[in-house]
Amino acid sequence: MTKETQNRASVLQGTLDMLILRTLLYGAAHGHQIGKHIQRTTNEFLQMQHGSLYPALHRLEKRDWVSAKWETAPDRNREFKYYRLTDKGKKQLVVEESQWKQMAEAVARVMWPAAEER
Amino acid sequence: MKWWQLKKRDADLEREIRSDLELEEEEQRENGVPPEEARYAARRAFGNSTLIKEQTHETWGLAPIERFWQDVRYAFRQVRKSPGFTCTAILTLALGVGSVTAVFSVVYAVLLSPYPFHDPGQIVIWRESIREIENVAPLLPDNYRHYLNLKAQAHSIQDAAILQNPAFTVSTGDDHPHVVEGLAVSSNFFSVLGVAPLLGRSFLPGEDEEGKDREVILTWSGWQGLFHGDPSILDRTLRINGEQRTVIGVLPKAFRFPVMSVMPSEATRGSTDRYEIFAPLVPSSLERTANDAEFNFLVVARLKDGVSIRAAQSELDGIEKATAQADRLSIHLGVIVEPFSEEITGDARKPLWLLLAAIAGVLLMACVNLATLQVVRGVARDHDTALRSALGAGAARLVQGVLIENLLIGLAGGLAGVAFAFVGERIFVRIAAVLPRLNEVHLSTPMLAFALGLSLITSLGFGILPALRAMHAVPLKALQDSSARLSGNKQANRSRRVLVAAEVACSVTLLIVTGLMIRSFSHLLTQDRQFTAKNVVLTKADLTGVRYGGGQYPANPGADQGSLERDAMIDRTLDRLRSLPGIDQAAVTSVIPLTGDMNVDGLRRPDHPVPEGQVPMANRRLISPGYFSSLGIPLLKGRDFSPADREKFRAVILSEKAAKAVFPGENPIGHTILHWGHIYTVIGITADARINDLKRDTPLFYLPYWDFPPFTPVFIVRSSQAVQTLGPEMHKVIWGVDPDISIPTMTSLDDQVDESVARERFQSVILSSFGVAALLLAVLGIYGVLAYSVSLRTQEFGIRIALGSDRLGLARRVLMDAFYPLICGILLGLLGAAAASRWVGSLLYQTPAVDPWAIGLSLGVLLVAALLAALLPVRRAVSVDPVQALRSE
Repeated sequence: MTKETQNRASVLQGTLDMLILRTLLYGAAHGHQIGKHIQRTTNEFLQMQHGSLYPALHRLEKRDWVSAKWETAPDRNREFKYYRLTDKGKKQLVVEESQWKQMAEAVARVMWPAAEER
Repeated sequence: MKWWQLKKRDADLEREIRSDLELEEEEQRENGVPPEEARYAARRAFGNSTLIKEQTHETWGLAPIERFWQDVRYAFRQVRKSPGFTCTAILTLALGVGSVTAVFSVVYAVLLSPYPFHDPGQIVIWRESIREIENVAPLLPDNYRHYLNLKAQAHSIQDAAILQNPAFTVSTGDDHPHVVEGLAVSSNFFSVLGVAPLLGRSFLPGEDEEGKDREVILTWSGWQGLFHGDPSILDRTLRINGEQRTVIGVLPKAFRFPVMSVMPSEATRGSTDRYEIFAPLVPSSLERTANDAEFNFLVVARLKDGVSIRAAQSELDGIEKATAQADRLSIHLGVIVEPFSEEITGDARKPLWLLLAAIAGVLLMACVNLATLQVVRGVARDHDTALRSALGAGAARLVQGVLIENLLIGLAGGLAGVAFAFVGERIFVRIAAVLPRLNEVHLSTPMLAFALGLSLITSLGFGILPALRAMHAVPLKALQDSSARLSGNKQANRSRRVLVAAEVACSVTLLIVTGLMIRSFSHLLTQDRQFTAKNVVLTKADLTGVRYGGGQYPANPGADQGSLERDAMIDRTLDRLRSLPGIDQAAVTSVIPLTGDMNVDGLRRPDHPVPEGQVPMANRRLISPGYFSSLGIPLLKGRDFSPADREKFRAVILSEKAAKAVFPGENPIGHTILHWGHIYTVIGITADARINDLKRDTPLFYLPYWDFPPFTPVFIVRSSQAVQTLGPEMHKVIWGVDPDISIPTMTSLDDQVDESVARERFQSVILSSFGVAALLLAVLGIYGVLAYSVSLRTQEFGIRIALGSDRLGLARRVLMDAFYPLICGILLGLLGAAAASRWVGSLLYQTPAVDPWAIGLSLGVLLVAALLAALLPVRRAVSVDPVQALRSE
């Protein structure tokens, strides 16, 4: 792997965790749903292969931020692995959100200093 | 998560991914994508599922273990894929490691393992020396009076015990008595060694005084052998030399005392388990008082803590010299202190280390061969490695893969090596039966761990080179180049040549040393011995019983009752032996031939008194008429003894060397010498037969047996019958004369000669087999390198032939490939041989360390072998078909 791709992956990774946690705030969802949701809400801006969600989902599960369980889907007769936000996960979401906000504001101040003065 | 949940976890992930894919596929179909397309679209949208699985595993934290198992499986496949290489590697390792382990286990048991005493490093031996006879006998046994004096005065020693090694004629029942070996020791012997008996007690002070010496202590093997391990052994009795003795103790099983000889130049052979009886040592009154004679004992002492051997040596030597001066002795005495181990295994040290070095050299060569093979394999796998690297394998991963493969080979080789070590050790012990402490050799767990460790280390060691290659894999270059062209690169070639040179050097050194040993051995066997060993049977009878004088040296040798009894016994036995059918000649002597120096005494002239200490020394032998003709020793001047001499006068026969020492520049016949207080007239001179020791023609003087009949007469019979048929006959004759005589030894002179050169033979045999192995490995190495380079250059040769190059030139080109490493190897090997032969010089008999024959032959053999090794590849090179060669690319 080259250095460049590694950098991009790590940035994405940080935000991806937050996006997943935020998505799960609406309720339980399986991998495919989470992927589709992120894709649709960003108006297909985040073009990701939703397979890449799984390493992140398993990592979150290992940290106890989400819990997972095979359940039958309400709309069809089939089991999916549903992920749910845990209490710990909710707290983490708050932390990540505030961090992201600070980061975004910091970046904005550098990028658009005039807007800030006005 | 735990590793055993991995499978379940993996299935779970698989299911999750599958369901996601199916959902996506459904979705695509709903959007109107045709079913076939939909599946691919779903996969595209999902991404690389294998990669995703791997990345997910990574988050589980078990990836390193998983990768390790992957590599192990991969290594297994690689190893299985090339059975030829794998078998060669494992076999080479097994043989190499197994034989090194076998030899090392012997070296360990004989040289390194501590003696079963308390703090054995503090135990020393001391011997005395007399400056005046140092050139004849540098070391002497100890004098009893000097021992008491040194023990009383020296501060550097804690305590010292004195001992002697008599033979005990033992009977426990009603059968013929037999001779058991043991030691007569002072009562403090076991406390000096720090050994306590398993049963019963040790000797008490005073139990080594005359009349109070009724007790014996048995070793474990003596207890088992004589009493079948009877638990109620204490206070039981046995007859030793006709006298009743009580068993007061049994020594622990682990206690072993090596076979000791009181005379420094006497040959000691065989195991350490021979002693079965320890009895109190009671010196005779003569031995207690003599100040310049009766050097009949050996002293074992324990140094005080922190005292060096050198310090003890200088203190004891000083005391001895001062006492000798105060006593106004005419001889100059000295004391030499040596570590106990030096006394026992000093002679075996060099040959054993030499063998270990030789076999280690062979192992090294085997590994070099394997390394060359590995380099070749590594080159062939460059393509493979490059591909893996291009697919994202890191350097560490690639190196790990190669190392694991080597580890597998090393493990297999090590296990097979352990098995081989068992066999090898058996063989070695059988061939090397002359070494001391050999019965202590056994393959212990640490030794087997050593074998396995050695195998792993060597296999990893020779795997490092290819592993390093893997680290530098440059994918693009390797994938573009054809593998053949890549491997022709200079670096790989150079490393292969260096390896071959190292191999040649090793084998040249080993071959030259082997050549020297064989030359020395053949000298020993083919030199003129001045006696004929063929068709001679020797039978030793033991006459140390009470009836025959109890083995005690009488004040007037030859005139006491015991002497008369022995004389009569020998007379009668000789008469009966001579009347046996098929016997050509029968005679008697006092010492078994080829057992080294014994009964050394001064030859004094009544007409030419020489100061004490400058008297020529010679070995005394008591013989019967017919001794010289039985053994084929030429009589140079004068005549043999005759039965008629018995009543008439006292006669002596000298060996040529003894005659020259006593009567320089004179004809000794008719001259006289003084012995036992009598005048003896010289009646004959014999050739210098090497009857004591094949390596030395010691001076000897012969007296007729009737002057002082020996306690252990050795009957000599020359007959065309074999020992097996003659042996029982001779037993019958001796027991016909007296059924209570024990017969400790029965052998043929041929066997005796064989046994006396057993150490030289075993050195030569083992070294030769190592030498042959080294030669084979060198040949294989040279062949391997040439064959490989020819196979890589087939195309080049094709072009050369197509362009009109002549085949002789091609052959020369191939040979040049081997020429430089060969020359460098030979030069290095000669240097190595120069160093090694200086080191082994003392093991050689009448063979110079720079022996043109040994060097020339070794180099010749190596060159011929190298040429043979080169022949096949050269043939292949010159017979390359240009059309074929060019088309194959």
